[in-house]
Amino acid sequence: MAPIEARPPRPRGRGGYWPYLIPSALLFLAVIVVPFLMNVATSFTRWSGVGTPTWIGLDNYTKLLRDERFWTSFEHNVALIVAMAVVPTMAGLVLAAALFDYIGRRFGARTASALRAAYYLPQVLPVAIAGVVWGWMLHPSYGAVNEIFGLKVNWLGDPDYALATVMAVMVWFQLGYPVVIFMAGLQRADPALHEAAEIDGASWWRRFWHVTIPQIRPEIYVVLLTCTIAALKVFGPIFVLTRGGPGNATMVPSYFSYLNFFEKVNVGYGSAIATVLALIIVVVTFLFLRVQEREP
Amino acid sequence: MTAGRVVSAPAARVRAARPAVHRAPGRWAVLAALVVLAVVMLFPFLIVALNAFKSPAEYSSGNPLSLPKGLYLQGVVDFWNRVDFGEKLWNSFLISASVAVAAVVLSILNAYALGIGRVRGRLWVLVVFLVGNTLPQEALAYPLYYLSKQVGLYDSKLSVILIFTVIQAAFGTYLLSSVLGRFPREILEAAALDGAGRWRALWGIVVPISRPTLSVLLIFFFIWTWNEFFLPLIFLISNDNQTVPVAIGVLQGEKMMDATMSSASALLGIVPAVAFFLIFQRTLTRGVTVGAVK
Amino acid sequence: MFRTSRTAALAALAAAALALSACGGSSDSGSSGGGSQGKTLTLWHYEGADSAMGKAWAEAVKEFEASHPGVKVKFEAKGFEQIQKTAGMVLNSDQAPDVMEYNKGNATAGLLSKQGLLTDLSEQAAKRGWDKLLSPSLQTTAKYDQRGIMGSGKWYGVPNYGEYVMVYYNKDAFKKQGIEVPTTFDEFTAALDTFVKAGITPIATAGAEYPAQQIFYQLALTKAARPWVDSFQLYKGKVDFHGPELTYAAQTFADWVKKGYIAKDSAGLKAEDMGVSFIGGKFPIMISGSWWYGRFQSEIKDFEWGSFLFPGAQLTPGSSGNIWVVPEKAKNKDLAYDFIDITMKKEVQNLLGNSGGVPVAADPSAIQDAKSKELIENFNKLTTSDGLAFYPDWPAPGYYDVLVSGVQELINGTKQPAQVLDEIAQPYNDNLADIGN
Repeated sequence: MAPIEARPPRPRGRGGYWPYLIPSALLFLAVIVVPFLMNVATSFTRWSGVGTPTWIGLDNYTKLLRDERFWTSFEHNVALIVAMAVVPTMAGLVLAAALFDYIGRRFGARTASALRAAYYLPQVLPVAIAGVVWGWMLHPSYGAVNEIFGLKVNWLGDPDYALATVMAVMVWFQLGYPVVIFMAGLQRADPALHEAAEIDGASWWRRFWHVTIPQIRPEIYVVLLTCTIAALKVFGPIFVLTRGGPGNATMVPSYFSYLNFFEKVNVGYGSAIATVLALIIVVVTFLFLRVQEREP
Repeated sequence: MTAGRVVSAPAARVRAARPAVHRAPGRWAVLAALVVLAVVMLFPFLIVALNAFKSPAEYSSGNPLSLPKGLYLQGVVDFWNRVDFGEKLWNSFLISASVAVAAVVLSILNAYALGIGRVRGRLWVLVVFLVGNTLPQEALAYPLYYLSKQVGLYDSKLSVILIFTVIQAAFGTYLLSSVLGRFPREILEAAALDGAGRWRALWGIVVPISRPTLSVLLIFFFIWTWNEFFLPLIFLISNDNQTVPVAIGVLQGEKMMDATMSSASALLGIVPAVAFFLIFQRTLTRGVTVGAVK
Repeated sequence: MFRTSRTAALAALAAAALALSACGGSSDSGSSGGGSQGKTLTLWHYEGADSAMGKAWAEAVKEFEASHPGVKVKFEAKGFEQIQKTAGMVLNSDQAPDVMEYNKGNATAGLLSKQGLLTDLSEQAAKRGWDKLLSPSLQTTAKYDQRGIMGSGKWYGVPNYGEYVMVYYNKDAFKKQGIEVPTTFDEFTAALDTFVKAGITPIATAGAEYPAQQIFYQLALTKAARPWVDSFQLYKGKVDFHGPELTYAAQTFADWVKKGYIAKDSAGLKAEDMGVSFIGGKFPIMISGSWWYGRFQSEIKDFEWGSFLFPGAQLTPGSSGNIWVVPEKAKNKDLAYDFIDITMKKEVQNLLGNSGGVPVAADPSAIQDAKSKELIENFNKLTTSDGLAFYPDWPAPGYYDVLVSGVQELINGTKQPAQVLDEIAQPYNDNLADIGN
């Protein structure tokens, strides 16, 4: 995005561009803003979801500040950001570029599409089923992974391996998303630039770095940010793979809000956790967008 | 050779001009590597398929990775009838298609104002929109439950459609406005000179040029909504309103699960989403490039 | 060039979809009506159609329709998770069914009763004699006090079946090692030793879900008596987590892993893995609940199997099964009571027993199948000796996951037994403080 000051001329019209935001603004108010405020209000109460909440002020927050398991579980989030955002983005870039201007040109668009579909498919499998299947594949005694590599590793049951295993599964799960987005971005990009570089004899890697990546920079930001958000609030895959175990080896923060909302029916505390988690994510988002905005 | 000539040269001629035998064995190595990766990605699906056609006794006495001895389809048939799967497929389709289209339209409108209009304070607007994506869904469950009860939308498909339209549009707004932030100004200026107003510029120029990205959004929104489990679980109470993932959830009991039927129903359940992806991915490759419009 | 046909078609589709979903909303809940004619009884449960309960309750529906001409039964099969997560919301809305299956215990039925979402069934229980049919230990999960704690107070639920933990064993494998069915704890460990010496890991279990913690609890129960259970489960006294019961359990569990009775790689496994490995004959022993019984009856073909109560224990994990509840907002409460009453009748209970379930009010002579007889006799032995000790995760909401992670650490040897006990003590005591004990 260009800096705010350097506004290029654009089509003129009455009333600016604000009216285009009105439909969404109304819906957002009803579905996100009001519920979020209600959630914040609930976080100051003790409530089991039904009946009148009891106001307890900041008690939930002071309790949360002392909840060591909540804060230490953020360490696992760092690993998950690597597995869900960093690795898929990098691998996705290489794959998308390879499919788009290497496979697509030399073996035809159909081959490229088929491969892209294969990479994307894990995103379609329901998480609960994916958890069961990976459980079978990683089973310590008959699992396919051990059989193929001739190992005897207890992938999900051994605390030394569990987090790394979950990370690998998350890469599998997440990879298709950047590939599809980046390939679409490459369609949008100007083919002339690429061809010019090719004629000039630039190697594939040079073209990748100097032509491909700059062209789909917006997509890279989008993928990195949305995957980071997803990693910060990830819950489903962890729950079906390890339930946060063994011990607390793969525990994540959003588990705590789930636990309090639906296992303990402690909606007030759950709301406080959700509020804190949302605020952390919003801060990350804001910083990220600022960086993106400053991009030349 | 000048740059101008290269740019105007048709792609076919450029390709012909390149040394054709350039790293010939290498290209097969690249293809092989990518195919191996594809096999790895698809391997879990093979395992699901293996177990989908086993009888429960066969599944239990062997191990999940063994080959089925024959095709056992009774499980699928029973499940289909038990949960009225046809109805669930229709519900899922209705909800996912509505959300996909509505959210794409909202994303276009928002992104037009934010990416091209560059309205003042757009960073904050974007942050607010993105909150829709960042909020843990658990946090929305109770408030939305009370709100939807107030307006009589609890236990209705419309409530789920509205909620997901907003959540998906949050993502779409961000992606599209990032992309449109780099939209070539010359094209819009040319349109303005021709007398096109903003509304016409949006639908006549911006939307056609962004079609690959819009297709991506449409596909993603459809598939994401199709696979949503948590909020449909809470908002679709009657069996007549339920979606495929909620119906599959019936197979996960309190203390046991039905692995063969879960596999079979999972395969059944993803067929429409996969079909949708395959049909629409053609539009991804057929996208109109910026260069072509020029 | 820009093709509009697909876009236009999609837009039309979306418009149609929106219109359809708008009017097809939730309009068909019009179940109220005057008189018995044209009424609908809405029934929800989440048992599989092939399970003992599924079969018995389908029969109950038939009998209900026969004895209530003109009343339609609208049965909806629900997912366990959906009911578990949304019961409070549903029961607080007009979508509440007339009668539904719900989980027993403080965190579930107890909470809903406290919130005023369940109908008090005390009067019906007395009038229809449910209080006579159910033994006292089964009534524990039917009654809840004002704080939502089970064991006393009003009736809010009616259990229709029972469940308990037992030792399943592979008769062929036992014969091969020349082992008799053990009757004392020492004989049991001797049997386990024999298997280990033969190079076989004897006990199938799963650390990532409930099985391992039930073994842990069963071990504690071998050293416990009823007052300890009352303290632990009903908060009638203080529980010392470093007292003899739990110390013994943690220590013995860790020893069992060391001695090779329990596989070291079972920490990450799920209950389903355990069941499948027993059915596949990979382990000769599995310590788990009666809910596996029906499945074993139909799926174990390659060997003979049997079951016995945990040797040397007076108390065993187990309780009533899930309970029938009538939501406070139910529209046809009288019909709901009639339905519950039918499920308590001998015919339905006998069918439940003959299908591999544990009935609570069956006629013992009507159970023909030898395996089912064994199952039910063992359960009756437990109820008459007041031997049901509930489950370890019941005392505090969210305790299940605490125990899962604690027992996983015992299996992996990543924490000492004493540390694990500290870890599981804290959430328990936090909960006590929460409910004001």
